[in-house]
Amino acid sequence: MAPDITLTIDGVEVTTERGKTVIQAAMDAGIYIPYLCYYPTMKPYGACRMCVVQVEGRPGTPASCTEPAAPGMVVTTNSPLVNALRRGVTEMLLSEHPHGCLTCHRVELCGPQDVCLRHVSVNDRCVMCPKNERCELKDTVRYVGVDMDSPLAYNYRNLQVDVGDPFYDRDYNLCIACARCVRACDEMRGDSAITMIERSGTVLVGTSFGTSLLESGCEFCGACIDVCPVGALVETDNKWEKAQSVVSSVCTLCPVGCEMDIEVDSRGRAIRFVGKSDGVNDGQLCYKGKFNTEMVNSRKRLKNPLVRREGTLQDASWDEALEAIKSGFAQHRGESFGALAGNSVTNESLYLLQKFARVGMHSNNVDYIANHRSKVLDGLGRLIGQKGATGSYKDVGNSEAILLVSSNVTEEQNVAAVPVKRAVKAGSKLVVIDSREVEMTRYADIWLRPLPGTEMVIVAAMLRVISDESWENHGFLNDNCEGLIEYKNSLWAFDLKKVSKIAGVSEDDIRRAARAVATQGKTSILYALDNMGIQSQDEMVQALINLAMVTGSLGSNEGGVFPLLAGANQQGASDLGCTPDTLPGSTTLENISHNTLLEGLWGTKLPDASGLGTIRMIDSAMTGEIKSMMIVGYDDSLVNGDIPNALQSLAQLDFLVVQDVHPSEISDLADVVLPSVPFTEDIGTVTTQDRRVQVVTPAIAPRGDCLADWQIISLIAGVLDFGDQFNYENSGQVFGEIQHVVSSYAGINYGSLSIGQSVQWPSDGEGNGTSTLYADGFPSGLLVLQAMELGTTLTVDVSEQYPLIMVPGRVLYQDDRESELTKQGLNNVLHRKEIVEIHPDDAMTYKVQQGDEIELSDAQGWTRRFSVSVSESIVPGTVSVTTLFGEMATQLQSSKDPIKMLRAPRLNISPVRLDPAVVAVS
Amino acid sequence: MIDINNKGNSSSDLREVTRALLQEHENVAPRTTVLSCLLEVQENLHYVPEEAIVEVAKYTGHSINDVWGVASFYTNFRFTPPPQHMVEVCWGPTCHLLGAMDVLVAIQTKLGLEGEGDVPDGVIGLKYNTCLGACSQGPVISVDEKITGVVTVETALSVLEETLNPS
Repeated sequence: MAPDITLTIDGVEVTTERGKTVIQAAMDAGIYIPYLCYYPTMKPYGACRMCVVQVEGRPGTPASCTEPAAPGMVVTTNSPLVNALRRGVTEMLLSEHPHGCLTCHRVELCGPQDVCLRHVSVNDRCVMCPKNERCELKDTVRYVGVDMDSPLAYNYRNLQVDVGDPFYDRDYNLCIACARCVRACDEMRGDSAITMIERSGTVLVGTSFGTSLLESGCEFCGACIDVCPVGALVETDNKWEKAQSVVSSVCTLCPVGCEMDIEVDSRGRAIRFVGKSDGVNDGQLCYKGKFNTEMVNSRKRLKNPLVRREGTLQDASWDEALEAIKSGFAQHRGESFGALAGNSVTNESLYLLQKFARVGMHSNNVDYIANHRSKVLDGLGRLIGQKGATGSYKDVGNSEAILLVSSNVTEEQNVAAVPVKRAVKAGSKLVVIDSREVEMTRYADIWLRPLPGTEMVIVAAMLRVISDESWENHGFLNDNCEGLIEYKNSLWAFDLKKVSKIAGVSEDDIRRAARAVATQGKTSILYALDNMGIQSQDEMVQALINLAMVTGSLGSNEGGVFPLLAGANQQGASDLGCTPDTLPGSTTLENISHNTLLEGLWGTKLPDASGLGTIRMIDSAMTGEIKSMMIVGYDDSLVNGDIPNALQSLAQLDFLVVQDVHPSEISDLADVVLPSVPFTEDIGTVTTQDRRVQVVTPAIAPRGDCLADWQIISLIAGVLDFGDQFNYENSGQVFGEIQHVVSSYAGINYGSLSIGQSVQWPSDGEGNGTSTLYADGFPSGLLVLQAMELGTTLTVDVSEQYPLIMVPGRVLYQDDRESELTKQGLNNVLHRKEIVEIHPDDAMTYKVQQGDEIELSDAQGWTRRFSVSVSESIVPGTVSVTTLFGEMATQLQSSKDPIKMLRAPRLNISPVRLDPAVVAVS
Repeated sequence: MIDINNKGNSSSDLREVTRALLQEHENVAPRTTVLSCLLEVQENLHYVPEEAIVEVAKYTGHSINDVWGVASFYTNFRFTPPPQHMVEVCWGPTCHLLGAMDVLVAIQTKLGLEGEGDVPDGVIGLKYNTCLGACSQGPVISVDEKITGVVTVETALSVLEETLNPS
């Protein structure tokens, strides 16, 4: 690191890092320089001239945001000259920015309930600005101190406020053209969905030909809103609400674990979520996390326990509910009991749930529901040592090459895509293996589009190329790996010609992909393995770890293996043994010493038969082997058909207890429903997909009779007389017990965990986590390269009735396709003639031609009309459809469902049938 | 060479024309940029249609919005089909001193325009120009890219008349 330098700012000696600018040095030292276009996490822009300073011995007044701090520099931030310049800038800004909030003589007198006394014209009134009282420009102008009888004529732009797009409103009458939003979109998110249009006096933020954001490539992440210093960009929901308090916490919708400020109004509602720019997410959020307030505030939330009496769920007190549970569970202990945990459940609750099942109910039937979608952590534990990402997602940006396998990361773990996009922009190579067209395929240098189910074969073929060309990192292999001969022998099965035929990907593309990942340096490998069966996922993880070994990407912060998890706290579920076959600490049921430790601590004998996972539990509920269940939290898989017949199976149970925040199709089936709290009212920890233990901090007091999940489990254990094993005063006590039994959590100092102070396990006990695993070698000494077998499992079973594999895709925009925008009320709605791509052979079989109208339908009753596009690039037997993200965004926005963000549709590959479209009778 | 006159005005035609123009541009230009691509389109089509923005974005690897940012910055690009004839009146400093404003007002009065723009039937359009590069000949006007120097109100109007109703 470059040595620090010392300079003087306003007479104060300031020491700063070389490379920082004057404004950064001043801010670090607590000296305020007014600024507007500058934003701490973005590159300096130097547009607003508000941050001008004087530097001794230098002519002029440089902008402190672009001026590098130099040793010995003497800076004055507050002199008559710079103040005059700043006042000039402000005068010009205010000549086009409504400023009743500054000039009205009643500013100090008006209270929130006062009717505006109309001292200011309508457009300029303070109450007409959604950011009234929370505006950065106003603060800056007040600091600068502007003379209000400005010589400049005031001009109101009189532009229409844009409220048609989902999630946010744009009022460019309030824009000061600082370009923060444009830079956030471009520099921080890599989307460039907005731009500065026109120039000089008429310059404003806009889109190409003034089109809707639905068509401009916007991913509705809200990054632009969070940086806007004025009221030009605001969230549509709670637009006019003012925050009474702000609490920093974590979003628990996905495994990224974005840190954010929760703004709460005087009525105790969460009104806004704002990404924390000093958080692990660099201030970024996504469409799900940013616009999710309804989930917390909904009036439809469960407020009190419900008990089924005479066939219907009726309001009940906690005592009545617990009494019902006592009698319900009394007959069903042991292996006929099963417990499932939903998406956003905290570590403490996951731990207690598995303890409840194992210690109280004597059953290993406990699972985290999302585990049925992905088993991507197990291989990491077995083959490298720890069940977790080998590095930090932030460091993915350091990689020269990135491989992304079957992941819809933009929609499912959105912010994890940000470092990938930034790396690509900075010149890293991105290889995407996915049969679906998703947003990241647009960023890919090479996009391999195999037949669904043959992804592993492609990776193996890439390994074969690397071996043939001797592109391996031989040093790493010599020092750290064994089993090279068996591994190399196994590669003979992956003849390129053969693989190319099986997977439908050209030999040349496989070679190019292998070159890109193996010859650039270290590689980051990211994978969700969507749509692959659990068995294929295991084989795939093995192949990817092989790739990480031969490219020498482990143990370094420039590469690694990064699972993209299916559930928000899936990492926590794995760590804490909320799984049927492992115990807290990720140890197997057969690990005698750990079992003894747990049995001693828990004071009971543990059940030794391995339990049932989610899918088998649901199946067993149907067959009657499982008779009672407890479901904590929500996971859409039980409802959306991902787990076949889940609801029908749950309906067969003798007794079902559901703890959830919202009523759902699942709670409708329950015998007892218990109201729990959303993350804004919860306290506890969650673990991100890069092993980061974060603390969830309550911003609001629990509503009504609602309790945290762990408290509810503890209450239930109490009425079932499970003894003092479930008596906890607070969630910290639960975490303390976790630390006893989970060695990777042992060193974490619970007291010092806070937002901005999260720790990646394992920790040394002094608050330091491990951002990169295996930097000092591997627990097993040498890693074993795994021999691979050529065998493919098709992702979906086609049948005579549904003979084609449909590969769905969703992208932000496709510039080669035309779309049309209409208004529905105030809302923009995007229409496009959707096409289905089909191979010429299949087109022949089905007797369809380019442009024909057809209908696709699946076994679940989904059906949609498409226009045929015949394409050689589609693998025979599959058809591909790609819809626009904007369409989904509109649907999510207009949905009244409070848990719409948990129900955002996934891109599942499924068998379909193709029929000629029925001609509509007009 | 593609024959842009033989192409219609449908969206897909405009896209195809733009692609052909860009291909041609790549063949002759030592280096292509967003700006050079836009200029190529404007030069041939006399305007930059929305379809061309999309194609230039695809060709240069930028977002459509980025390309629009560049295009909208320059007042010389127009985004709607041009009128049959285009009059440009120089109002740069030299022409201004030599009486360009009288000429401008006379032409505006004749065309029934109050500023820049096209007449409603699309026969002719007026555009201000800050320098046509012939200051010694001021005041200067340009009709369909043909420059006339030392114009007076009368000569300017007669050039206009000749353009609109050739004898």
